[in-house]
Amino acid sequence: MTSDYKRFALTRAGQAVIVVLLAYVLTFLVISVLPGDAITNTLRDPQHGLSEEDIQRIVAFYGLDQPVIVQLLLSLGRFLTGELGFSLQSNLPVSQIVGDALPSTLTLATSALLIAIVFAVVIAYGAQYLPGRWAAIVRSIPSFFLSVPNFVIGLVLIELFAFRLHSFTTTDPNSPVATLFAAITLAIPVSAPLAEVLIASLDHESRQEYALVARSRGLSEAKLFAKHLVKPSALPSVAMVALIVGELLGGSVITETIFGRDGIGTVVQKAVTGEDQPVLQAVVSLSAVVFVAVNLVADLASPLLDPRVKLRESKLREKVSA
Amino acid sequence: MTATLGYAQLRNVGTASKRLTAGLPPVTVVLSFAVILLVILWSLVPGLFTSFSPVTGDTASKLAAPSAAHWFGTDYLGRDQYARVVYGTASSVTSALVAVLIGLVVGSIIGLASGFRGGWLDSVLGRFVDVLLAIPGFLLAVVIVSSLGFQTINAAIATGVSAVAVFARLMRAEVMRVRSATFVEASYLQGGNRLHALLGHILPNAYRSVLVLAVLQFGTSILIIASLAFLGYGDPPPASDWGLLVASGKTYVTAPWLVYAPALVIVVTVLSVNRISRWLRKAK
Repeated sequence: MTSDYKRFALTRAGQAVIVVLLAYVLTFLVISVLPGDAITNTLRDPQHGLSEEDIQRIVAFYGLDQPVIVQLLLSLGRFLTGELGFSLQSNLPVSQIVGDALPSTLTLATSALLIAIVFAVVIAYGAQYLPGRWAAIVRSIPSFFLSVPNFVIGLVLIELFAFRLHSFTTTDPNSPVATLFAAITLAIPVSAPLAEVLIASLDHESRQEYALVARSRGLSEAKLFAKHLVKPSALPSVAMVALIVGELLGGSVITETIFGRDGIGTVVQKAVTGEDQPVLQAVVSLSAVVFVAVNLVADLASPLLDPRVKLRESKLREKVSA
Repeated sequence: MTATLGYAQLRNVGTASKRLTAGLPPVTVVLSFAVILLVILWSLVPGLFTSFSPVTGDTASKLAAPSAAHWFGTDYLGRDQYARVVYGTASSVTSALVAVLIGLVVGSIIGLASGFRGGWLDSVLGRFVDVLLAIPGFLLAVVIVSSLGFQTINAAIATGVSAVAVFARLMRAEVMRVRSATFVEASYLQGGNRLHALLGHILPNAYRSVLVLAVLQFGTSILIIASLAFLGYGDPPPASDWGLLVASGKTYVTAPWLVYAPALVIVVTVLSVNRISRWLRKAK
C-alpha cells in the first residue's frame, strides 16, 4: 500500500459518495415533477384505507405541505441515516418492502451474472479457436443477443420449456428450474457486451509478442489461452462486469414481470402504477448505491490486479467509452 | 477510438467516398438497408402495405392462424396482426428517433462544452454525467416516464434522457482527442478563433464516431421503448406499438404468432440497425 494508492482510494471513495448523493437528488427531482395532487390522490384512494389521521401523519412526515427543497432536505437527511420512509400504498416501512423483495432479485441477478460470464467466455473462446467460418458465426452472436428484447427471450423460453416441454411451471416461479430460465433470460442481453470486450482483448493479447514466443516454445493454443491470455483479458472484463450490474438491476423489472417473480422489479412496477414515490425513490437510489459501490470496488481492485494500471482519479467515464 | 492516425488511415479518409461507390457493401449490409427502407415505408405509408384496418376486425375470424389473407394471423378481436404491426411502426420508429435526437443533442452539447472548455465546467458536467450513469438506464427511463405520464412520447423522452450520458462521454473524448491536434493548433496560429476551431475542425472530426453511436443507439432505443410499451408505459390500446403488441399477444397461449410476429419484426429491425452501425464503424 503506497501512499499514492491510499490517496487514489480515498479520492475515488469520496467521489463515489458524492455521486450517490447527487443521484439521490436527481431522482428526487425527477419524481417530484409529478403533479402535486398525485400524492394526495394516492393517499386518499379509498382502496388504501388510510384514515384522515394517517394521511395527516404522512403529509407531516414527508413535509408534503412544504416547498420541494424542504422535502428534499428532509428526505436526504433521512436517507443518510438509513431511514427510507413508508410506502404510500401499504403504509409499510420501505425498508421492509425492499428487504422482502431483495433475496429473490439477488438470486436472480447473481445467477444471471454467472450465466452471462459463462456465455461470454464460451463465445470468446469459440471466436478465437473455432475454424474460420464457425468463428465468424460465433463472433456475430453478441450482436444478435443485443438485438433481441429481454421480454421476447423470456416469452420464447416460457413457451418452449414451460408450455411445450413442461420443464417448469409458471405457477411456481421460485422453483430452481424456473429461476434458471429467468436467469438465462436476464443473462443473454447482458452477456453480449461482456463477450465483445473479451473477444477484443483476446484478439489483442494473442497478437502480442509474448504469445508468439509462447507458441514458438511449443505451447498448445489451449494452454496459451489458460496460462497467458486469460489473465490480461480479465481486467477489462472486471470493469465490464461492474458496468453490467446496472443492466442486471434494470433488466430484472422485465424479467420478474414475465416470470411472475416477486422481487425488486415487481416492487418498482407496483410503485410506478401506484405512484408510490418513497418506494420508487428508495429502489432507484439503492440501485445507484449498488452500482457505484461495485464500480468503486472494481476501480480500487484494478491497480492491484494489474500493476501497469495508472492511478487515475475518475475512471468511470473513460472506462465506458472504451 | 484513441488510436493515432497513421499514414494508411489518413489515406483511407481521403478515399472513403470513392470506396463507398466503388465496391458494394457486404450482402448483409444491403439487406439491412432494405429492411430499414421497408420499416420507413411502413411508418410513412402504412396503407400501401395492407388493406386491413388496424383498429376494426372481423370477430368471426378471431385468433386465426397465419394464412395467405392474414400473414401474421388475427388477434382476439379478429384484427389483422400484420396490419397492426405495420400501423404500429410509425409510433415505434418515430419515438426511437426522438429518443436518439434528445440523447444526441443534449449529450453532444454537454460533451462539447466539457471537452472544449475544460476546467471547472468539465468537472461539474463530468460529475453530472457520472450521476446519470450511476442510475441504471432502464430504471431511470421507468422513473422518468412514470413521472411524465404513460404515453409513447414520454417513453421516448425518458429513453432519450437515459442516453444523454453515453453521447456526452463519447463527444467529450472525441473533442479532447482532436482539440490538441497539430492542425487545430495551426488554425489558432493562423488567427482562427475558438469558434472557428470548434465548428471548422473539431466538430467535423468528431461527428463520425458520434454518428456511429447514434445509429447504434437508435437500435437500443427501439428495444427500450418496446420494453416500456410492453410494461404498459406507452400509449394504451388501440395503439399498436410493437412492444404493446407482444404484451397483449402473450395472454393468448393458443395463438403464439401474436407474440412471435411483432417480436420478429423488432429483432430483425434492431439487428439491421446494429449491422449498419458496425459497417459504418468499419468504413470509418
